[in-house]
Order: sequence, then structure tokens, then C-alpha cells
Amino acid sequence: MRSADRVTAVLLLIFSVAFAAGALKNYSWWGPGGPGSAFLPFCLGGVMAALSLFFLVRSLRSPWPGRAWLPRGEGLRGMLVVLGVTVVFVAALKVIGMILGTALYLAVLIRYLGRHSWWVTLGVAAAAALVNWLVFVHWLHVPFPELGVWIF
Amino acid sequence: MDFLANLQLGFSVAFTPFNIVMAVAGVMVGILIGALPGVGPPSGVAMLLPLTFGMDPTSGIIMLAAMYAGTMYGGTITAVLINTPGESASVVTCLDGYQMALQGRAGPALGIAAFGSFIAGTIGVVLLMLVSPLLAKWALSFGPPETFALMLLGLTTVTMLAGDDPLKAYISMVFGLMLAMVGFDIISGDARFGFGIPEMMDGIDFLPVAIGLFGLGEVLATAEEKSQPIKGKLRLRDVFPSFADWARSKWAIVRGTAMGFAVGMLPGAGPTVASFLAYTVEKKVSKRPQEFGKGAIEGVAAPESANNAGATAAMVPMLTLGIPGSATTAIMLGGLMMWGLRPGPMLFEKNPQFVWGLIASQYIANVLLLILSTLAIPLFVRAVRIPYSILMPLIVVFCITGAYSLKNNLWDVGQMLVFGVVGYLMKKLGYSPAALVLALVLGPLAERALRQSLIISDAGIGILFMRPISGVLTALALLAIAVPVVRALMRK
Repeated sequence: MRSADRVTAVLLLIFSVAFAAGALKNYSWWGPGGPGSAFLPFCLGGVMAALSLFFLVRSLRSPWPGRAWLPRGEGLRGMLVVLGVTVVFVAALKVIGMILGTALYLAVLIRYLGRHSWWVTLGVAAAAALVNWLVFVHWLHVPFPELGVWIF
Repeated sequence: MDFLANLQLGFSVAFTPFNIVMAVAGVMVGILIGALPGVGPPSGVAMLLPLTFGMDPTSGIIMLAAMYAGTMYGGTITAVLINTPGESASVVTCLDGYQMALQGRAGPALGIAAFGSFIAGTIGVVLLMLVSPLLAKWALSFGPPETFALMLLGLTTVTMLAGDDPLKAYISMVFGLMLAMVGFDIISGDARFGFGIPEMMDGIDFLPVAIGLFGLGEVLATAEEKSQPIKGKLRLRDVFPSFADWARSKWAIVRGTAMGFAVGMLPGAGPTVASFLAYTVEKKVSKRPQEFGKGAIEGVAAPESANNAGATAAMVPMLTLGIPGSATTAIMLGGLMMWGLRPGPMLFEKNPQFVWGLIASQYIANVLLLILSTLAIPLFVRAVRIPYSILMPLIVVFCITGAYSLKNNLWDVGQMLVFGVVGYLMKKLGYSPAALVLALVLGPLAERALRQSLIISDAGIGILFMRPISGVLTALALLAIAVPVVRALMRK
């Protein structure tokens, strides 16, 4: 946790300085009618820089390594599989469409995470895809991407 | 007389078949969401909000508010049965609720929680109805300095109460405010930090952020844990508490309700703080403090009453002042703005149907909650037995479709995904997603109020201290900032 805190503090410090400098460079600090659009972003960048600097000093001075925060083994694998399959699903949404994508996504994850039978896996996947279609497409008229074609 | 006429108007709105169906659906979904560890009330409201866009705002808020009440009870089911709170306001219920379950008294524990929630929720709505119009009338005199000071107080108190590390909570809050600065400036029209991307110029929408932080982020955190299955059966007749249970719990319910409402009304405090406080006080005033933690029914009755009263009370600052009392009401507040309503004192004047419809529907939701939480408890216990390997992917699909349907674009889905990872990291590293979302919702409003105040005062920040109301509120906000600093210094 301590190293994670140090890395976060440095990243936040860089981000806040860039945020404040970017605000001051690109937008007006003060206009004829009062504070300009850079006023609050610059102040917030300054406050965040101060907080992250304090955070960095605190974590550098801390003698305790803190508890481990990243899971290991099966826990890490479970989390990465859910994240990875979700990223692939979102990236492929425009191509495979929401309804078919939902069914495939559910089938892959339910089968992998729970080792359920194919009947349960495909049954839940198909039912959820159908409910998704009924609620969002049929009832709410949301134009989901479908196999690369936009349905309106 | 006005008051009765308003209530009558509210019931005429709430008693339409569609709104009753929405309230039933809200309570049922709320109980289920509350019962699922890792999916709390903010996630539920964030995921359901897109569903309400096709509805009339009144029906939408009726469903969300009923769901919020349902989650408060739902969290109790797993807290009692498997010692795992479904949401943070039920954490303290585990202490005695689970001990009661081990002694074979899970039924009375869930029963007293249901009756306590009903009593507290109903009294809470009566108080909401009495307090809100008065507070709204008082808030009509607020100018920009008072509005800014109030928002500052809301942000600092949420931050003060969020998590174990105040520094990380403040970092989360300031990060949320920085995100709120992205997009068109409301006064000058500058597209700030847009980088030429049209979607960025519109600003960062709070909803994909909230769905990501609370929905996907929680699922990712849960994916690495092994969930404990619920075993055993619960019959309907087990749920009703005995006369002895009632005798021991009645004052705990009254005290829990009073404390829950008072604490829940404070911006930033919310039902979780209310439940902890009610438990502590109950243990202090009890004639049998030694039984607390070993299965004392008062240890379930007091916090469960407090969290329901607190959830109702959290709507008072949201409706009257436009300041959310908790992460859930922050998301509801964002929803109100998306529906084109402006939360705050004028809401009572301009949209009486909406406000009074919501208030009246809360009475109905409490009755429904009591019926469903007693008669349908065996059904809910069965429902929460659905394996996590099936529930998790379903929740993610709901997060994705919810984020997409906001503006029918994949940009929001991408944003939700990014903030899902951010939410996971925040949870693991001890930051406060609630403070971030609250700051993101309040950021643009606070900026406008601050800049207007500075224009009025000709750039003098002293205006915040010179006017009596804003002076007191700013002083309280500074006190909220100072408390953790002083505490840290004293520890050294």
C-alpha cells in the first residue's frame, strides 16, 4: 500500500500542476465582470498539488509498509478475467451489437466463473439478452448498435 | 389548509396505477440490491436512473426513492443471515443480527428490522413533510454566498465522514471538483479541457462516472472474493417478533428513529452514520449493555430504524436546498437535473406535483416495504442465493446498457469502464468514491455560486463571512476541515 500511495501522490502532483498551468495558459484568470474560467480550475489545481505533496511526504515518512492491496492468485485472476472480457465486449459492441454481444458476454463469463452447465449458461444468457431487448429497445426505444447497423 | 391540500395533491399523483407499480418495483429491486453484498444503494440508483428517462420525472423519482427505502431493509437480510452487510448502513446490524441467527433467531431479527424500518420510515416521512416546506421557505432568502457556503459545508462534511483516511477523502473530493471543471464554462462559454473532443466539451457526465465507480468498480472488487452462500430456510411464521421482543425493542425503535432523522438530515451524514450512532447510544442507555454483540434484539432494532429514518431525512436537504445528504441522494440530485428540474427551495413552488407526489409515495412505499419484507421474505432469501458467478456478469451488462442509454453513445460506456477501474482502485486504496461523485454533481453549481459571490462583493472573499447565514455555514465548513487536522496533530 505504501508504494501505491507514493506512486499515486506523484501522479496526482504532476496532474494537478499540469491542470493548474493548463487552466492559466488557455483560459482567462479574471474578466471584466469578475473571475474568469481559469479561476477555480487554477485554485483547485493548487489545492490538489498541496494535498498530494503532503500525501507524498506522509507516505515517504511512514515506517509501515501497509497492507497488501492487490489480490494474488485466484482472486487476481478472477478480477482480471471479468475486466478483460468486459473491455473486449465494449470494444466489440459496435461490430457485434448489444443484444448478441450481451448473450456472448454472459455465456463466456458465467461458464468461466461458475462452471455452470451449458443449459444454465445458455439459458441465463439468452433470457438476459431478451430482457435487455424488451426493456431498452422495445420499451425505452434505445437505438442499440446491432451487428454494425444502427437500428432506429 | 395549504398543507392538507398539498398532501391531497400528492396522493392523487402517487395513487395512479403506474406510480404504484413503480413503487412496488422500486421496493422489490431495492430489497434485492440491498441484499447483494457489493451492490449498495448508490450503485442501484445509478444503474436504474437510465431506465427512468423514458418516464415522467415524478414516476421516476417515486421508483428511485422506493428503491432507496428498499435497499435499507435488503442490506439486513445478508447482515443477519451470513454476517455480510449488503450495504454500509447495515454494517452495525451484523453485530447482533448474526448472533441472533446463530441462536436460531434470524426470523425475529429480520422481523423487528422490517417493523422498525416501517415505523421509522413512516415517522420519517411525516417529519419530511413538516420540515421540508419550512426549510424551503427559509432557503428562499439565500443568495449566492449562502448557496456556496452550504455547498462547501456539504462537501466538507461528506469528506470528513468518508472512510478512515481524511486526506484520501479530501483528495477524492478535490479530484471530483477538478473533473467538474471539464466542459463549457457556464459564464464565459470557454470549452475547458475539451482537447478538441466534442464529447469532452460537453463535460464529464456524473452518471457514467457513478455507474462505473459504484457498479463496475464494486463488481471488480467482489470478483476477487469468494462469496459465502446462504444456507437454511426461513419460514413466514418465524419472521414475526414475540411480545417479549417488542417490549425490548419499542424504545430502541423510537430512539433510533429520532436519531436517524436528525443525523440523516445533516448534509453529508446520511443513514450509515445514523445507524452507527443509534447503536452506540442504545448500548449506552440499555439496562443490559453486556448483551450487545451477543444477540440483543435492540442492537438490530435501533440501527435498522435509524437507517430508514436517515434515508428519508437525507431527502430533506436534497429537495429543499439542492444539497445531497449522501452518495445516493447525490445521484438522485443529478437525476433531477437531468429531468430538467432544479432542486432547491423553488422546487416546492414550481413543481408541487413532483414534490408532494414523492412525499405521498413514500407513505405507500413504507407500507409496501412492510408487506414485502414480511410476507415475501422467504422469496428474497431464495433470490439472494443466486450464485455470484451469474449475478456479477448480469450487473456488468446492466451497467453497460445503462451508461449507453444515457445519450445513446459508446463514449459514455468507455467513460463508465474507465471509472469502473478507477472505482476499483479507489476502493482498494482507501479513497472515497462518494466524495468524488458528490463533488462532481455539486462542482458546477458551487462554481457558479462562488463566482457570483465574488462579482457581488467586487472580488472580496470576505462576503462569505460578512453575511450571518453564510458566515455560520462557512465557519462550520472550516471546522469540518480543521477537525481531522487537529485530530491528527493530537495523535502525534
